[in-house]
Amino acid sequence: MKILKATIILLLPVALIIILNTKAGSIPPLGKFFDPYRGFWNNAEQHATADDAIPLKGLKGDVKITLDDHMIPHIFAQNDYDLYFAQGYMTAMHRLWQMDFQSRYAGGRLSEVVGEKALELDRYQRRMGMVYGAENMLKELEKHPEIKAAIYAYADGVNAYIKTLKPADYPIEFKILDYKPEKWEPINTALLLKLMSATLAGGSDELYMSNALKKFGKETIDNLFPDVPFRADPIIPAGTKWDFKRLPLPMPPDSQQAEEFLSSVRTRQKKEGIGSNNWAISGSKTASGYPLLANDPHLELSLPSIWYQVQLSAPGSNSCGVSIPGAPCVIIGFNQDIAWGVTNVDADVLDFYKIRFRDSAFKEYRYNNIWKKTQPRLEKIVVRGGATITDTVFYTHHGPVVYTSKPARFSKAQNVPQGYAMRWIAHDPSADVATFYYLNRAHNYSDYRKALTYYTAPAQNFVFADNENNIAITANGYIPMKWHGQGKYLLDGSLPENDWHGRIPAEQNPYVRNPKRNFVSSANQPSADNTYPYYINWEFSGYERAHRINTRLTTMSKADVDSMRALQNDNYSVLAKEVLPLMTQLVNTELLNASQRRALNIVKNWNMKFDAGQIGASIFEIWQKNLYNRIWADDFNDKQAFMRFPSRDRTVELLTREPASHWFDDVSTPEKETREDLIIASFKTAVDSLERRFGPLNKKWKWAYVKQSRVSHLAKIGGFGSGVLLNGGSKTSVNALGESHGPSWRMVVALGKPVKGFGVFPGGQSGNPGSFYYDDMIDTWTKGKLNELLFLQSASQKNNRIIRHLTLQKQ
Amino acid sequence: MLSGPILLACLILQFFLPWWIIGPVAFLFALWRASSGKHAFRAGFSAAFILWFCMAIIKSFPNHNILANRVGQMFMLPGLKLNWLIMAFVAALIGGLAAGLSAFAGYFWRFLIRRDT
Repeated sequence: MKILKATIILLLPVALIIILNTKAGSIPPLGKFFDPYRGFWNNAEQHATADDAIPLKGLKGDVKITLDDHMIPHIFAQNDYDLYFAQGYMTAMHRLWQMDFQSRYAGGRLSEVVGEKALELDRYQRRMGMVYGAENMLKELEKHPEIKAAIYAYADGVNAYIKTLKPADYPIEFKILDYKPEKWEPINTALLLKLMSATLAGGSDELYMSNALKKFGKETIDNLFPDVPFRADPIIPAGTKWDFKRLPLPMPPDSQQAEEFLSSVRTRQKKEGIGSNNWAISGSKTASGYPLLANDPHLELSLPSIWYQVQLSAPGSNSCGVSIPGAPCVIIGFNQDIAWGVTNVDADVLDFYKIRFRDSAFKEYRYNNIWKKTQPRLEKIVVRGGATITDTVFYTHHGPVVYTSKPARFSKAQNVPQGYAMRWIAHDPSADVATFYYLNRAHNYSDYRKALTYYTAPAQNFVFADNENNIAITANGYIPMKWHGQGKYLLDGSLPENDWHGRIPAEQNPYVRNPKRNFVSSANQPSADNTYPYYINWEFSGYERAHRINTRLTTMSKADVDSMRALQNDNYSVLAKEVLPLMTQLVNTELLNASQRRALNIVKNWNMKFDAGQIGASIFEIWQKNLYNRIWADDFNDKQAFMRFPSRDRTVELLTREPASHWFDDVSTPEKETREDLIIASFKTAVDSLERRFGPLNKKWKWAYVKQSRVSHLAKIGGFGSGVLLNGGSKTSVNALGESHGPSWRMVVALGKPVKGFGVFPGGQSGNPGSFYYDDMIDTWTKGKLNELLFLQSASQKNNRIIRHLTLQKQ
Repeated sequence: MLSGPILLACLILQFFLPWWIIGPVAFLFALWRASSGKHAFRAGFSAAFILWFCMAIIKSFPNHNILANRVGQMFMLPGLKLNWLIMAFVAALIGGLAAGLSAFAGYFWRFLIRRDT
């Protein structure tokens, strides 16, 4: 009896300890987690200032690292191997969990960490061919030994850092999710670069477009979804002569059967906020006489930050800027002689092909009147707390058949047609890191042009400026050679005419050097005017940012860094300028109540800037969005066939130039609505919704409160994000800050002797929420200011912003 | 006083061993010395409570409590400047309960062993 009682009593603490040592759902193991010795308290960083020397195996020489007041490492190595080893080591020190999590996300391995709830996402990533593409990249590296060496050296550095860690030192997210860092493999670098392609060149509208084509017919769709916008301000100035010999254009097949596709999901507006600005102005427009270059890539903002600042110096190179955590080299930055930056081209590099399988075994498919064999690829997905799942993906010569049967409720799969093969540039062998490796070492324009030839995807507008007063921009990447409009709709995968016809030769990608207007710029608008011989895409980003940038740059003279900074923070809305006067004029005030009249007055007197404190901005934004939805929702929200709405540019054209268009009529009502009816109805809705949310007109209607920008944690862990940022900007302003997407890095480089760089991102160098450097740059970013980037010439150079020296010692 | 030796032993052993070592430590000390179940639980609880509370704030103060405040928000607390204090209490409570219950069990085993011999 006593023994039984004592045993039962012993079970109490044993059970409690076991429970406290076990993860339950999304709750971390509480005993482990709250343990002040090894739990999260141990991630609470102190201000470390002591210099340190760390002996490491694998280094060829000692590496000197200087850390500045934003914890940015300035790495001085004696050879390239040590340089990228140290970059890997330092990035891991600050961003290990982010690197681990993002590469797992990219490679479809999140289920290993979070269990079954990530299974559909993992399947999607695998079926999209993310791992297949990454493997092809690794194979291609065999042809580029110096790039392969850089990626492997980087991995060695990451692993050298991981080896120094005890469980108590693991980044806090490992403790929350209760798993361990694993060895870093070079394929993770490839996966992260593929993730960039997925973000920037992984979108596809052709399913929606095919549905729309089927419903409305070619004439209507050509009218509503034109291949050329009604006004454009292309990247390569209109009229630029193409100094190359044109290749013959491929021809479409005689008959094209676009397959319809049924889906019961709701239509969404095209996602915006992933885009970017860059420009360079020549010395003739600057105060210094040397060029100025600016870049701000817009992405979904996150903490830990998307970018990691670094200076990389070794014999033969000294570059400074931002890197991608998980990949070697500076991606956007400058060196003594040149500066460069990137924006997305929006080339159509993803197409879907209807596959006619011989039978439901998916082993053969029809192509060019013969049966061709598919290649099965097995994807093993390990699920934490569950069975390992093997998924078979069938590959055609186009690429993988993403879904032979589609998951019912998985939003990412919505635009993927079932039974179609995917032809995607991210699957092709490439060694994109080479471009950055050579840009880091470039001295002049011809080095820049040479470096670009190594680049495949995602296609970027590479802006360039150098100390010899050259400026240039190139829409660069592997852009497939296509017949006009190829891939606007779903394609028939059995016709060879529908295959990609090679590529546009790299040197014939749209580019311009030192144009007459003395500046180059891009904001994701069409690459060139219609004199450019090849087809790149039928639709690009809207006109607004591009036009504003070009307008301001045209009038600029004696510009300095601050004029560039001011333009990056420009909140002016070209959209408002184009449609607001018309909209306010068409509102019949007699139909408004008192508060609606007051609101109309405010929006009439608004300066058309999306500044944080503007109430007019809030009213206009909700108004125009509602108007847009009212115009198109009745026609394009089809419960049977998923479609998308015409672009904002087309809507502006409709509003300003086609007042009597039948599209204004709401077909779901018996009455005949007009443009005026929709404008006034949407205005009332806008004011009423603001009143419901914030009460009668008051200061809470200010744009920043309405917009609620924030930077969230990468895994959306509460408390690890930024909270609401009271910032201006909008998707149609140069300062393209929406709720969650916006300028992920703002950089201005003043070329000259010496060159000077300025930059900031919304976060900090450290990925540790318990670090003083987790979000120390957000304030500067929020205020629209830039930090001067410390660009040291040697490891021993003195500067009062240096806070710490580290030496990685060869062991 | 039983809590003093438990605290001291846990303080040292935790540097080398996982957090749950506080259980066996409290158990053994109670087995050796506890005079009642209540005495044992109090001693184990207070020792680990004080140790974990103090260690937590010793680590948190130089951090200006940035992390503890964020973790508080993660556990759905509002964004208060004093989240860290609540977190330290939660930590202390967890440690206290684990050690307290272990000590309680230790006392009963002491009882058992004594009767048998």
